[in-house]
Amino acid sequence: MIAALFAATVFQSIDTIPPHRPPRTTAIDERLAADAGMRIGDKLVLSATPGATNGDTVVVSALVQRRADPSEVARAEYRVRLHLDELQSLTGYGDRVDRFAIATKGGASTDSAIRQINSAAFGFEAYRSRDIAVETSRTFLVVSRFHRAIGVITIVASAIFLLCIMLLKVDERRRDVAALRLMGISARSIVWSVMIESAFVAVAGSLVGVGIGWAASAIINWHYRGVYRTPLAFAVVTPEIVLLAVSLSVVLGLVAGFAASQRLVRMSPLELLTGRREERASQPVPAR
Amino acid sequence: MLLRLAWATLSRHLSRTVLATLGVAVSAAMLLDMVMLSSGMRASLQDLLLSRGFQLRLAPKGTLPFDTEATIANASTVTRTLRSMPGVQIVSPVLGAQLHVAVGDRTVSTTALGIEPAVQGDYEITSGRTVAAPNELVANADFLRATGAKLGDTLSVAAGFDAQLRSFTGRRTMTLVGIAHFLYMAADQRAVALPLATLQDMQGANARDRVSLYMVKATPDANVDTVLHRLEAALPKVSAVSIATAMQQLDTRLSYFRQLAFVLGAVSLTVGFLLVTTLVTVSVNERLGEIVVMRAIGVARSRVVLQIVLEGVAIMIVGTLAGLALGLVTARYLNSILTSLPGLPAAIDFFLFEPRAAWTALGLLTGAGILAGIYPSWRGASLPIAATLREEAVG
Repeated sequence: MIAALFAATVFQSIDTIPPHRPPRTTAIDERLAADAGMRIGDKLVLSATPGATNGDTVVVSALVQRRADPSEVARAEYRVRLHLDELQSLTGYGDRVDRFAIATKGGASTDSAIRQINSAAFGFEAYRSRDIAVETSRTFLVVSRFHRAIGVITIVASAIFLLCIMLLKVDERRRDVAALRLMGISARSIVWSVMIESAFVAVAGSLVGVGIGWAASAIINWHYRGVYRTPLAFAVVTPEIVLLAVSLSVVLGLVAGFAASQRLVRMSPLELLTGRREERASQPVPAR
Repeated sequence: MLLRLAWATLSRHLSRTVLATLGVAVSAAMLLDMVMLSSGMRASLQDLLLSRGFQLRLAPKGTLPFDTEATIANASTVTRTLRSMPGVQIVSPVLGAQLHVAVGDRTVSTTALGIEPAVQGDYEITSGRTVAAPNELVANADFLRATGAKLGDTLSVAAGFDAQLRSFTGRRTMTLVGIAHFLYMAADQRAVALPLATLQDMQGANARDRVSLYMVKATPDANVDTVLHRLEAALPKVSAVSIATAMQQLDTRLSYFRQLAFVLGAVSLTVGFLLVTTLVTVSVNERLGEIVVMRAIGVARSRVVLQIVLEGVAIMIVGTLAGLALGLVTARYLNSILTSLPGLPAAIDFFLFEPRAAWTALGLLTGAGILAGIYPSWRGASLPIAATLREEAVG
């Protein structure tokens, strides 16, 4: 219906407002103003149906920026704000409204107001704004679930990558570790040293990742705010998220380090030095 | 021979090879999922829109079908105009509304479609029959679950509730004659369909001779774009939406998912590439002596390069094949999440498997495997033979 109102501004120009009544004011969506080249002070003719031969002239008195509301983000329709009685008259809606917004003193008074309205007003139903917000944000809740699932896959890939790197690193220094073992350094110390090194790599990587994430979130917000023309923040790097990412990295690093170090401590120092066990396992294939 | 040598090298460090293959498998799974995501949604919507052969939708000017509550006035005249146009084979008018069904002392609300049974393209009957009389309706399984109604039941159906009079408006007694699968409804959305004239009548003055949407099927020999322009010229108060336009709208609204698919796909490919590059580089560094010995006994440089590249490609191919299976499982899970987006037709899939997606993932990762092996292998095979042999011997 609202879209029809806008369409009417384009498709019809007959004004039914008597000439003696000054036109009333309207506030229009910034996006509509930008797309249709409208400015404050412009006169518009509105009607309830496209191409209708009757309409009301209104004056644009304000431009309204769209709220940061997830439920509206993908909606491409334009919006105008009219005086209630004018919209009722324009649409033939009579003395009706779609909903009332009620401000309470908060806390128990909200519960009490909801109880009273729901018990007294047959045919009406009162809801908390919070509950409505939850319902209208379902799209973003689903998207959040999707992101979490992608996050889990990424964590699995990172863990494998880290373990692979640590295996390569411990393989590289088998001789050093063999020397340390022969000098009397305990297997426990070697495990700890590899775990700490691995955790360090993980933390350093995660800090670089936080930097990339912060830059990416800035680009994402800039891009999608432009695409959807909304002030909504699409990606936010919060201290909690950083803490979670770094903590996860430390845990993954410790686990990967522990797993990799087992290759060093399960072999005797001599085997580490000569690599004999590995050589036995990989006798060269005779060429034929 | 080359393959056996490559296998011997890979199996020398089995745990390392297995881990790298696993890493590639996860990357391949993610890449496949993202390739499926980037094209699946469009293909799925296109299949859905064309499922009953209607290539055009007509909505009130400036709106998309069922995007707002706006309706098209003078529906009977518009219908006649459309049906008389050359190139138009079938015209199916649809009115959307909300109805309330009395079930004991409670009411169940449902989405209702007013249709012309002979030309409707919104549902497929799964049990019973379609509506034939003004007081008949068909419903989907979600509606039956909510109301407990069965085929042949008589239902008290109303169009609205008057708060002042405290009574239902536009009340009718209707018979449930069929169970249907509604093509465009969201999952868990209750839906009924009844004759267009009945629903218009129930809605009162607001819906008299109005419809929300027309679905138009062009004749087989007609050009759809020509028909679209003809419709728009003849009916200036409606917007004609072709499948291509609907796709463009979808691209605009859901561009986020395509862009996410591109970014994550690129990241997956990069991770797989880095993993194999690291592995092959370390592997080459570990056996410089072996490589220069091969060169010293006359093995051609290209053959050495080929053997090392083969190692990278082998990891990529095995990892990708495992990843394709893993990707299908994860795609199913991710699809189950995204298809719960509110208001989305249940028939839409975000992750649609097409052989092209699998070939794309396999091709990209195999290419990455070849690239990952080329530089380290070329570097290894280009080392000065005598100097390297001496360094390796001295240690």
